[in-house]
Amino acid sequence: MAGLADLTLIQAADRVASGETTSLELLRACWANLDAVNPQVNAMIWQDREDAEVKARAADEAVRTKQRLGPLHGVPMAHKDMYYQAGKLSTCGSALRKDFRPAITATVIGRLSAAGAFTFGGLNMAEFAQNPTGHNKTFGDCHNPWNPPYITGGSSSGSGASVAARFNYMALGSDTGGSIRLPASACGVTGLKPTQTRVSRYGVMPLSFSHDNVGPVARTARDCARVLTAIAGHDPLDPTSAREPVPDYESFMDGDLRGLRIGVPAIGFLDGADAPVVAAMEAALLVLIGRGAVVTRFDLPLMDAIAAYGGIVSRAEAAPIHAEWMRSDPQAYGAHISGRMYPGYAIPAAYYIEALSRRGPVLRAFAAEVFAKADVLVTPTIRTCLPTLAETDIDRGPPGTETKFMAVSANTRPFNYLGLPAISVPCGFDPNGCPIGLQIAGRPFGEGRILKVAGAYQSDTDWHWAKPPMVRTAA
Amino acid sequence: MGAFETSVKSTIARWFGIAAPNEPAKRLAAELAGTILAFEALRGTLAFEDEPSSFESALQATKEPA
Repeated sequence: MAGLADLTLIQAADRVASGETTSLELLRACWANLDAVNPQVNAMIWQDREDAEVKARAADEAVRTKQRLGPLHGVPMAHKDMYYQAGKLSTCGSALRKDFRPAITATVIGRLSAAGAFTFGGLNMAEFAQNPTGHNKTFGDCHNPWNPPYITGGSSSGSGASVAARFNYMALGSDTGGSIRLPASACGVTGLKPTQTRVSRYGVMPLSFSHDNVGPVARTARDCARVLTAIAGHDPLDPTSAREPVPDYESFMDGDLRGLRIGVPAIGFLDGADAPVVAAMEAALLVLIGRGAVVTRFDLPLMDAIAAYGGIVSRAEAAPIHAEWMRSDPQAYGAHISGRMYPGYAIPAAYYIEALSRRGPVLRAFAAEVFAKADVLVTPTIRTCLPTLAETDIDRGPPGTETKFMAVSANTRPFNYLGLPAISVPCGFDPNGCPIGLQIAGRPFGEGRILKVAGAYQSDTDWHWAKPPMVRTAA
Repeated sequence: MGAFETSVKSTIARWFGIAAPNEPAKRLAAELAGTILAFEALRGTLAFEDEPSSFESALQATKEPA
């Protein structure tokens, strides 16, 4: 039976604003699922219910006095625990920051508040946003609400799991190599990585300055559109944020895909892909073709350069951020975190500069060839059926576990070096009952177009409405 | 431990004062040899660009048409 926690973000916001329901009722519906299911999934690591109730009552009082706080009026949220809120806990998923209370508030949190939303807690995540699986040594691994021994995807593990388990209408994630799209795919929800520079990173824990992105994980593409409209745009506190105008992203979602050119990479993104994943992608393509899209299959250029340069940039930028702790307290990290960071200290500066300096030319050459043939690219978000937490546990697994671990993000990483926007939408289930995600990528600042494609797909399918069995039982 | 791994370990220790924290670190450090090979394979395939804002300008140059 559907309840208030099953509403989409937009339904929830609009019902509060119209007086049809209250923010406090939404909050309590989310908490009912949280109390019932969090012990099994471990998606939320701290809560501030008292403060949340004060904010929910304020939102409800605003409705009574005919004020509209904004397009997210009265919507309770929780985010990956790396978005700073002055004076509130922000653990970054690590023992090294278990008591960290920043003095500043992230611009994106400020913008969500200005739009009427409020937060009620912090979500589990990979330590310092550094794994694609959801393992966490300090706060415990995050478990997939569809099948708990399986990974949630990472690093925004709690973001994906909490939205799937109906604790939350939307959660911010961060994406440096796929960390929004992977948990969206693994947990059966929708996750948008915007164009590099589209959203401010001020007050957000850094991992790799060149590749970090802020974006939403939500139930639907339309929910992501509403959030992106609220959070995108230049921020004087983040000089790297783009001055590109921010449209109303919901206005793109008219469902009309007539003449849309979809490119499907003929090789690379499907190497080693599992049959159920390929079948789900092909079925999704038929849905899009049914809406008037045309599919072309071709090889993508420069993939070796993108992989080599992208890997160097991520590793070289993460290493110095953690050097002090890697000297003083390396055992505070999970072995897979410190182990993956360690080689970053041996990368020559000249390699790093070469990788950065070629990013522009690589993007220009890639775009010139690819976007002459296609308007968007479509791939599986994760090319294999989901692995279990045990199969990808580098800390306890045998040598070679790294290969399965790294394969999780093989299809998402290229778009971080290229800086392109990409969204993951649910498109099926694997034989283990775990969700499969479809990745749709576009040109720089082409979020409107990929949201339009994702929205059209969700108009004709109902994968995004599916609810994990443990949540159905809880309800 | 091979010569390459020893060299990586001593470089990191000398430049950063950081020791390999665990076995995965040693295994992944050894994989830097593959990174070097990947860079070698790219030599001569792309010109160096000396404009520091080139990525941001490339985002603008290749962006979605209005």
